[in-house]
Amino acid sequence: MAELIRLRDVSKDYASGPEIVRALRNVDLDVGAGELVAVVGASGSGKSTLMNILGCLDRPTSGSYHLAEVDVTRRAADERALVRNRMIGFVFQGFNLLARTTALDNVELPLVYRGVGRSERKRRAARALEAVGLSDRVLHTPAQLSGGQQQRVAIARALVTSPPLLLADEPTGNLDTKTSYDVLAVLQSLAREHGITVLIVTHEPEIAACTERIITVRDGRIERDERVDSPRDARQLALELGAS
Amino acid sequence: MRRAGATVVMAMRSLLSAGGRSALTSLGILIGIAAVVVVTALGTGARQNVADQIQSLGQNLIFVFYQPVAKSGARGVRGGGGGLSDRDARAIAREAPAVEESSVYSDVRTQVVSEVGNARVQIVGADVNYFRVRGFRVAQGREFTESEQQTKAKVALIGQTAIDKLFPGLDPVGRYLRIGKHPYRVIGTLQPKGQSPFEDQDDRIIMPIGSWRARVAPTRGDRVQLVLVTAKSAHQIPAATRQIDAILRQRRGFVEGEEPDFRIRTQDEFQRSQDAIFGILTALLIGVATISLFVGGVGVMNIMLVSVTERTREIGIRMAIGARPADIQLQFLVEAVTITLFGGVMGTALAVGVIELLKAQLGWSMALSPSAVGVALVTSLVVGVTFGFWPARRAATLDPIEALRHE
Repeated sequence: MAELIRLRDVSKDYASGPEIVRALRNVDLDVGAGELVAVVGASGSGKSTLMNILGCLDRPTSGSYHLAEVDVTRRAADERALVRNRMIGFVFQGFNLLARTTALDNVELPLVYRGVGRSERKRRAARALEAVGLSDRVLHTPAQLSGGQQQRVAIARALVTSPPLLLADEPTGNLDTKTSYDVLAVLQSLAREHGITVLIVTHEPEIAACTERIITVRDGRIERDERVDSPRDARQLALELGAS
Repeated sequence: MRRAGATVVMAMRSLLSAGGRSALTSLGILIGIAAVVVVTALGTGARQNVADQIQSLGQNLIFVFYQPVAKSGARGVRGGGGGLSDRDARAIAREAPAVEESSVYSDVRTQVVSEVGNARVQIVGADVNYFRVRGFRVAQGREFTESEQQTKAKVALIGQTAIDKLFPGLDPVGRYLRIGKHPYRVIGTLQPKGQSPFEDQDDRIIMPIGSWRARVAPTRGDRVQLVLVTAKSAHQIPAATRQIDAILRQRRGFVEGEEPDFRIRTQDEFQRSQDAIFGILTALLIGVATISLFVGGVGVMNIMLVSVTERTREIGIRMAIGARPADIQLQFLVEAVTITLFGGVMGTALAVGVIELLKAQLGWSMALSPSAVGVALVTSLVVGVTFGFWPARRAATLDPIEALRHE
């Protein structure tokens, strides 16, 4: 399987006053296309730093990062913006949708920065919303949507550019259990059916149990990297909860 | 290009979603621009007005005033013992090749009585050339003649303002008016000439200079207050001025370089000194208006900085999904420029309204030039770019990670 993510000997230092804090220490990581991975770890373990580097929001102090066999280790701000726009979709704990902006306009935003024409944007945004089951909420603003619906809009926004990598930072942190499984089911299907690599940062074991691989970060190192033998099916879990 | 267009659309939307604040912010610019446009129009109008007034004096006109030398000593011996005279005027016309014609003038403001009223009016004594030199035209009746001038006849011509005071609703020609104890027959009326830089040119009665000297303001010899000269053409004015100076110095005994007892002023000099006054005045007012524009610009910058802080998270989101720093910068710059341009357009509209109102209600002469409107709009654009640049730059250089974490 072709590696989508390849980190080699990546370290990240932060200056914290006079001291230098080493947030990541010589991390090696390979993630293949279509993998569904959970990243777990206590706060301060370095998992946020790892995700920022993977998301091209930050640059490593040393080491190298190849994304889809392209070296993106030390790119200027403009080029990192381009990489984020083309290669990476982001889903956040707080949804991070633009307020007073319709679901459709939120979803088409990445296409605006890609320079896609208006009618094409509308078409693709509508299709992405359909894919997450929100065809009937296209013109709703975030305030008019439930938490689960907002997160699905955010997923549609992350997917609208058809990126190979989706990074989800605590995507279910603000959601109840049933809705969490609903959202997780969407992420599972993206990996399984569309071959998108999905990385989920979570601290909930139940969520991690739905993924295929769990990476545990501690003190800036990858402490454990284990396969999940039989990932649980989020759709099934959601249905069970809905039935009870 | 496409993403620039879409960025502009997004900037507009975000301005509209904060409509009240955007409108209030542009108010500072609106007032500044309106002030600049109104003041410019006022300056242009006033200057035009004075230019017209100066033009109304006549054409290629040169004034010669009597101005006694302030120093003690030789006075009385030289200068022919006082003011200018008929003979000075005749000598100028005779000897100066660049001069077309000369005339004499004296005036006094005094009480005049008619059959229906009385009023204070400017009484002018002049010679027959005066009407041509100053461009006065007879509306009804006739000018006085050379022989009437020589015989000091009791005849007069009357201007419109004086008619309104002394003969309201009547035809003055053929009627009499009394100045002191002497009656004068009105032989003509003057066409209205309007305001000069000095006075209402229609509030006057003109009579032969001899009559004036003999009865209205008894004067020794052939003294006059003023000699009026016309040059043969506009570009002969400097030559005529030099020739007049030389002739009068010789006649009155002043050598070259010595300060004489007369002053020569041309219409051009009036025009220039008036222009200078209006130039200073306009510059001063524009300075004040520019300060208000600057204050407005600082207001825009302030609000844009607040907006950047408030929307830090939004900026982080936009960056995460692929906005380049330049895209962010453009969006905030467009927002700032839109605010100031909106202020500029509305300010210009307000100024046009104010100008029309002042013209209609107060009769002020104001001239709104298209170039002033253009300058106003360009200025508001420049203010937007200038004061929007720093906030936009700040937005563009935010760290996306920090921005996303911002609450």
